[in-house]
Amino acid sequence: MSALQELQHNFIDYLLGQPSNIAQHIQSTPGLSAEKRLNIYAYAYKARLKEAIGTDYEQLHGYLGDEQFDQLLERFIEKYPSEETNLRYYSINIPTLLRSEEPFNSLPILAEIAEIEAAFADSFDAADSTILTLNDLAPLPESAWETLSFELHPSLQLLSYNYNSFAVWKALSDEEAPPETVQYDSPETWLMWRDSQLITRYRPLLNEEATALAFARQGQSFPAICEALLDYFCEDEVPVKAITFLQTWIQEGLVSKLNY
Amino acid sequence: MDAKQDMKNDDTRPFLGFGLGLRTEHYQHVIEHKPQVDWFEIISENYMVPGGKPLANLDKIRADYPMVMHGVSMSIGSTDPLNTNYLKDLKTLINRVEPYWYSDHLCWTHAHNTNSHDLLPLPYNEATINHLASRISQVQDFIGRPMLVENLSSYVTYNESVMSEWEFLNEIAKRSGCYILLDINNIFVSAHNHQFKPKDYINGIDNERVMQFHLAGHSYQGDMIIDTHDHDVCDPVWDLYKYALQRFGAVSTMIERDDNIPEFAELRQELAIAEDIATKALSAEQLHIAGQPVLKGVA
Ligand SMILES: [Fe+2]
Repeated sequence: MSALQELQHNFIDYLLGQPSNIAQHIQSTPGLSAEKRLNIYAYAYKARLKEAIGTDYEQLHGYLGDEQFDQLLERFIEKYPSEETNLRYYSINIPTLLRSEEPFNSLPILAEIAEIEAAFADSFDAADSTILTLNDLAPLPESAWETLSFELHPSLQLLSYNYNSFAVWKALSDEEAPPETVQYDSPETWLMWRDSQLITRYRPLLNEEATALAFARQGQSFPAICEALLDYFCEDEVPVKAITFLQTWIQEGLVSKLNY
Repeated sequence: MDAKQDMKNDDTRPFLGFGLGLRTEHYQHVIEHKPQVDWFEIISENYMVPGGKPLANLDKIRADYPMVMHGVSMSIGSTDPLNTNYLKDLKTLINRVEPYWYSDHLCWTHAHNTNSHDLLPLPYNEATINHLASRISQVQDFIGRPMLVENLSSYVTYNESVMSEWEFLNEIAKRSGCYILLDINNIFVSAHNHQFKPKDYINGIDNERVMQFHLAGHSYQGDMIIDTHDHDVCDPVWDLYKYALQRFGAVSTMIERDDNIPEFAELRQELAIAEDIATKALSAEQLHIAGQPVLKGVA
């Protein structure tokens, strides 16, 4: 190990609060000891990470309050030294920590609120892609429908929640008192995507549309989607229902490409 | 030595005029009102994302203004291998933005599998010079253009340092062919924190390597000055700026503001102070904005 490498490892160990001899490498001056000088870096390290997480999880912060949110930040920074090049991605594991560790996992809605905020951040800077309009359906030959499959917009996310997390998140972001936590009998699916104006939109999905959209996203064909819908509708209704879904998705800007 | 004697390189250094750091808080204002400012400096990492608003806004603003790119994550001084994914993304962004130049810091940020997300100082000695010169050369070969390296604000001096920061920086620039982004505020901050004379720094820097100036505000924290970028540029830093102009001639100048960010118009007024100082310190001929970059390989 080179002297420089040894020094850098020690500096990082120091920032992470691990045993380190970095102070031996640092000059003290009459005004300020090596320890106090180093402390500026230790403080800045934590402050910068806390600020980044705080920006990403504003509503979670509001829900937890300053003290408990800070407890979360301390825990996260200790458990997750950053391996990201870009600070933008540092906080992506916050939902994982909330789901897996006491005391946070005793309130499962915390992880769901965090997931909503992470989903907004992902939507904000997800990749761009073309967005089809209904006109793009018109020239399809009859035979195309037998193999037709879809490429959906890269910003599209299907989010599944066991609690009324979206209602809580919405109240928090509107600066209103959040409603009581409600646990659902079965998970509710929400759709989130970025529209052609680069605005992130979201809406809850009924199971039938959630199923169809999940199939479409996997690249399944239109007939396969229709078949999946037989669980929800009788055979006569299915084609109309499937076409209606498709038209809605296209109008909302969810579809990037047709393959056939 | 008379500072004015050292201006021989003015005609080979592209002078872009006076710029500001592009900040999200000002996107709307800049897009709608197209305020007069000669150029913007962007933080590269803010646009190293797949797509969406950041890149859409960047493209819109780029259509109206020249830009330079400033990064914080190259970790050029690290003993880790160079981050090739980062460099690829940087090159992609450079091709998109077509900046006059790109810069990063005389520091390391990542080591030991951990990113500090901070600009950490290096020991100033021969081994570090060799290490940096070789890595900067690799980056420049990969990107296909020379880079600018910026001096830091720092709070520690290593026992392993055997030379001044300006000697260190000159040597790296000389050996790697990179240019220097001289942060006037960082000189002031580090001079205070390490007890050297800021003018010695400015006198010591090789004129022909200097390509850009940064100006910024700072905060006092006990005995130390911290490089917070959350205040106006203070008078002693303006004085030092004037001194630097007299020593180097016309150098593209911008103000960095990263916290406690005021309205755009207020920052623009602060930039006008820089223009005013430059107008008084230099001749109109020196301050002519070339419009076209003339330094071979930089633009
Ligand atoms: Fe700077």
